[in-house]
Amino acid sequence: MKAILKYKTLYLMMLPILAYFAIFSFYPLVRGLIISFQNYRLIGDRPFVGFDNYMTVLKDPVFWDVLQNTIVIGTGIFVINFILPLILALSLNEVASVWFKKVTQMIVYLPHLFSWVVVGGMWILMLSPDTGIVNQIIQLFGGDPISFLASDKYARSVMIFTSGWKEMGYTCILYLAAIVNINPSLYEAASIDGASRWHKVRFVTIPQLSSTMKMVVMLNVLGILRMFDQILVMRNGAIADKVDVVMMYTYQKGILEFNIGPATAAGFLIIFATLVISFVTRALIRYDEG
Amino acid sequence: MKILEKKSWQSRIFDCINVLFLLLLVLTMIIPFLNTLALAFSSNLASMQPDIVLWPKEFSTEGFTTVWNRMRLYLPFMNNVIVTVVGTAGHVFLCSVAGYVLIQKGLPGKKWMLSAILVTMMIPSEAIMIPLYIVNKDLGLLNSLSALILSGLVSGFGVLLMRNFFLSVPYEMSESARIDGAGDLRIFFTMYMPLAKAGLATVTLFEFVSRWNQFTPAVLYINDPSKNTLQVALKSLIVDTDVTSSNFMITTNVRMAGIVIALLPLLFIYPFVQKYFVKGIFLGANKE
Repeated sequence: MKAILKYKTLYLMMLPILAYFAIFSFYPLVRGLIISFQNYRLIGDRPFVGFDNYMTVLKDPVFWDVLQNTIVIGTGIFVINFILPLILALSLNEVASVWFKKVTQMIVYLPHLFSWVVVGGMWILMLSPDTGIVNQIIQLFGGDPISFLASDKYARSVMIFTSGWKEMGYTCILYLAAIVNINPSLYEAASIDGASRWHKVRFVTIPQLSSTMKMVVMLNVLGILRMFDQILVMRNGAIADKVDVVMMYTYQKGILEFNIGPATAAGFLIIFATLVISFVTRALIRYDEG
Repeated sequence: MKILEKKSWQSRIFDCINVLFLLLLVLTMIIPFLNTLALAFSSNLASMQPDIVLWPKEFSTEGFTTVWNRMRLYLPFMNNVIVTVVGTAGHVFLCSVAGYVLIQKGLPGKKWMLSAILVTMMIPSEAIMIPLYIVNKDLGLLNSLSALILSGLVSGFGVLLMRNFFLSVPYEMSESARIDGAGDLRIFFTMYMPLAKAGLATVTLFEFVSRWNQFTPAVLYINDPSKNTLQVALKSLIVDTDVTSSNFMITTNVRMAGIVIALLPLLFIYPFVQKYFVKGIFLGANKE
């Protein structure tokens, strides 16, 4: 008790922060868990219904469709956001001109700053079949205009590509920061052994980046299930069945249809999946370390 | 440095291909922005004609005047300014306070508080959007800017980042100040805050960017058009009006002008962002 009095200013300082997390993180989590087992109504009692809400979700074919979309688009985004920045960072690292490197980095990083409304909006307008610049370029080379955002064939690829376009510079900077920190004596030793430029990249740079790669994998894997902004902005009725992801399902069920019970249950299935995925990824990454 | 060693012809060819590849990449990054800017400054009519526009056609600012005055984008813009300024200030202050408390040696319960904050970082906020909506509804926050300001007012990332900055301040300094009779508030405001300017700048920039771009909370909590923020207004300007034709036709230059207005404030702070972001990302990720 005496200790607590001694530190009372510190506890008072911490109080608003703990209160914030209690109200806006932990309480919604617990409340949500309870709701997911309830028949949630605005007025009247809210009887507990066991796993009914979860069964409703799991028996809903739409849920499996959006899950499939999430996995396909999410995996695509994961792969493109892992490989593109790595290639870019390695390629930038081979450039001798500091000025060229700096400017490239600056330009490539730019889209990361902007919201999905801005980036998605730009691409929607640029991909428009009548006036968009992309189709104008296709026509310049003699092709036929494509309605990218109205076709089942292209919709998912557009989501993956635009995500790669937006986030490439951000991850690239993480890789570049790690490359700068590689001990130069490793490269000198490789030179003495007669290593070519490619050998230096293959046997020095890439192995030295492994911990950054692991960080990127962890960050991006958890992002897959959280995909929402981008889809909400770029989807439309014509391609909804190809691009709607699990978060869209939760949003539509809960906020638009006011089907609170199943929507919350779907949210908790996602939280559960997130925990499993992050656990498995961690285990795999450690496994890799031997 | 061995840069001056003689390069083989393979090496030179590689350099050429490499630079060409990077130039191509830079072009794919920059053409969309050029196209946006050029169309925003084109006239109504010219912006609707199919063409590859990288420079304004019939230079005009009618896109901007239409979107700002006639479509009243200044209303959501001002709401965005309020949410961004208040939200960022509150976020930076509260994260600093938490960061300061969490570096104190021998504070009972510190470990417990720290792990509670780490747990909040693992909860994907999108997955609890429904219960969060209900909480905001119960608190009577729906359709108010307060809901948007409160959303993400403290974050585990910000707290950890400030904590890691404060850890680099020598602890003995605060100990000797304490012996001289200084209280925690005084030590925090007069010693730690001024010494962690780089940390404050980093958190401010991170938060400013994410506040300005805040989208999901506004979609969830705001119905009243007068409380709309910029991103939501911009979305309906670009996407929703595509199908439902309102009383007048929205031309491409108007839409592009809206986009330019939304990205302008971020462009201004971009030079500072470059300086602090990388360091910040790594410091915020360090959970030791």
